[in-house]
Amino acid sequence: MKTRVTALLSTLLAASLALSGCGGGREATTTTETTAGTTASAEGFASDATIGVALPWLGTQNWKEAEVMFTEQLTEAGYQPLVQAADNKVPQQQQQIEAMIEQGAKAIVVGAVDGTQLGSVLETAKGAGVTIIAYDRLIENTDAVDGVVQFGSLRTGQLQGQSLLDGLAERKGDGPYTIELFGGGPADANAPNFFTGAMEVLQPKIDDGTLVVVSGQTEFTQVATPDWDNAKAQARMDSLLSGFYSGTPIDGVLSPNDGIGRAILTSAKQAGQELPVVTGLDAENESIVSIAAGEQYSTVAKPTQDLVAKTIELIDAAQQGEELPAPDETVDNGATEVGIYQLDPIVVTLDNAREVFADDPDRLQYLS
Amino acid sequence: MTTLKNIFGGNLQQYTMVLALVLLAVTFNVISGGRMLTPSNLQNLISGNAYVLILAIGMVMVIVVGHIDLSVGSVAGFVGMVTAITTTQYGWPWWVGLLAGLLTGVVIGAWHGFWLAKIGIPGFITTLAGMMIFRGLVIWVSRSISVPVPSEFSVLGAGYLPEWGPAFTGMNNSTLLLGLLAAAWFVWTEIGRRRDATDLPVWITAVRIVLVLAVIGYLTFLFGTGRPGTSFPVPGLILVGLVIVYHVLTQRTPFGRHIYAVGGNKAAAALSGVNTGRVYFLVMLNMSFLAAVAGILFVGRATAAGPSDGTMWELDAIAAVFIGGAAVSGGIGTVTGSMIGGLVMAVLNNGLMLMGVGQDQTQVIKGLVLLAAVAFDVLNKQQGRPSLLGHLMRSAGRDAGPAPAATAPAATASAAATDAAVTSVPVSAGPVDAADTLPPRSS
Repeated sequence: MKTRVTALLSTLLAASLALSGCGGGREATTTTETTAGTTASAEGFASDATIGVALPWLGTQNWKEAEVMFTEQLTEAGYQPLVQAADNKVPQQQQQIEAMIEQGAKAIVVGAVDGTQLGSVLETAKGAGVTIIAYDRLIENTDAVDGVVQFGSLRTGQLQGQSLLDGLAERKGDGPYTIELFGGGPADANAPNFFTGAMEVLQPKIDDGTLVVVSGQTEFTQVATPDWDNAKAQARMDSLLSGFYSGTPIDGVLSPNDGIGRAILTSAKQAGQELPVVTGLDAENESIVSIAAGEQYSTVAKPTQDLVAKTIELIDAAQQGEELPAPDETVDNGATEVGIYQLDPIVVTLDNAREVFADDPDRLQYLS
Repeated sequence: MTTLKNIFGGNLQQYTMVLALVLLAVTFNVISGGRMLTPSNLQNLISGNAYVLILAIGMVMVIVVGHIDLSVGSVAGFVGMVTAITTTQYGWPWWVGLLAGLLTGVVIGAWHGFWLAKIGIPGFITTLAGMMIFRGLVIWVSRSISVPVPSEFSVLGAGYLPEWGPAFTGMNNSTLLLGLLAAAWFVWTEIGRRRDATDLPVWITAVRIVLVLAVIGYLTFLFGTGRPGTSFPVPGLILVGLVIVYHVLTQRTPFGRHIYAVGGNKAAAALSGVNTGRVYFLVMLNMSFLAAVAGILFVGRATAAGPSDGTMWELDAIAAVFIGGAAVSGGIGTVTGSMIGGLVMAVLNNGLMLMGVGQDQTQVIKGLVLLAAVAFDVLNKQQGRPSLLGHLMRSAGRDAGPAPAATAPAATASAAATDAAVTSVPVSAGPVDAADTLPPRSS
């Protein structure tokens, strides 16, 4: 029986391989199809077209805000929005994007779960003449992407690093300071960039002895937090504190986002440590409360509003059939040079929080 | 009613799910304004779910022998990563990487089989350990960074069959050929059936052939008339090949009968000379092999292997198997049933997406469907109580004669497997009707 099964399998395999060698049939028409795809952006599309927005998940505040804002603002602009989140699952997101193409979306905004794993799906979209805009996260290893709208991730990292230094000087007196480092989710292309940016600022201070990483863990792979999971960050902080800080105080922690920052603070409280200076990202409500209470030192705001507005601006350009505006820089994504539309993030501490959120009543209320 | 049963092959219960699937697809097609049954959407549906369906093939066999495999997602992820690293980072040719991946799957399967069959650790525990071990290894070897795979893999995971031959057919000729092959095969088996059961009226065979040919024709048309360059997807072809092989393996071979015998009553199977350890070992080996195939197809479609690939896939596969009519206690379940179960979930997911329903509500609906499908099955089979379908048949077909001796189709064969193995009677010998003559389960 085994042999018969193997024989059957190998015949099938051989047949499919043999078939893939042939040509002819309807192939003649494929070329016109693909050229139609690439020039589609030059022709524009209807002003009430369907616009797809594929978000990775709604587990953090910024993505939930993006969902709401895209729905409202695309509707206001006259488009038919189709906003879906993928629960952080790659296959789910692939299928959602395909469903958007099916529904006739003319442009698709993609906040990728994993920027390297959408290649064949986005090529299908490109083939159907869809304009693809990467939102907040780079899409890698495919040329089927028209532009990336994001806050400069290296810049974000630099701001986090600088803010950690400022906080240490402000709250912990003179150095040397003991610190630990945390990174974001390794599947997110931004996470290593945040860390690299922060280390550009911190590494010189580590080298000259101002900062001491007691655990010695300074590689991104050592400090990364799988899936940006707060619980995993907290578990790591617990073991760092019990392993390296049983007798010494910890002065500061580089945290890649607010959720992880709060997890670090919780861990430090439970270990009976005096609260370290902790950075953050995203200006989540809870972290604003924490900053107002003097616990978390800073966060970096990347106002979702700015990002959404910039994205819709690009969609409008594509709708009119215009060339997309010139990008701020281009980046090699492994397959092509992608245009990046960069926005500048803002550091928020107790001192400037009121001005930063002056136009944001939702967040302002947490400061009182 | 008997007429209906004859047309559908004497087993209405198995066809309830098929009917549900068809209804679901048609309903979504209407609600979404005709977006469900389009060439490109069906192509997406197949390429996007082939990996879960392939896992379900192996999972149904594991569940039939009375175990469960929680490691398949991690194994698939690990194999995908091994393939990506060997080809992209070590520079091995793509087919060597492919073989390395499949071999890795077999070795992992042997590892699981060893602990289950030789040491006697329950499959749940063995594979829970495997789930952790191989998830850890994926992250370890990849250092948590996604690794791209050579473009040859995207042919396997998302590719299409070639265009060739005359253009006047107006469709993809590879797909047309497949459709013709499927139609010819069906007609041929129908004629074979008539030779076995000569008292079957000719018109019943005719109706069956017409109905099935209409379905095959419609699907061939849909898959074949997509955008030029597209066809029935390559992962779908691989899936169909595997389904045929495993359907034959489980329903028509001694090994298949051993699987059902061991799952139905291990002691009785052992006493009648079945090597239970060997069955356990091979079933686990096979599961990880199929997980390897699924993992490779997935990275092909994704164009890269990621550290979190395969998370929760085991649960998707398990859900497909149970919706497809398998019993938690083992001994019951079929490959084809599980495929239908998997497709029900896939169509549901796809249809809700086309309607723009959010992921939150989709999860709730999928959970309820799983519960409803299994509850329907359990109520149907409950001890001592006439089943729902049994009721329907009794009232509708009271005067009808006894069911003719049609070959017992897939799902019902399993019910008889336990007894069959003990008395060494071939499974397909008895005319068993799941709907109203299923023996009460003694557990």
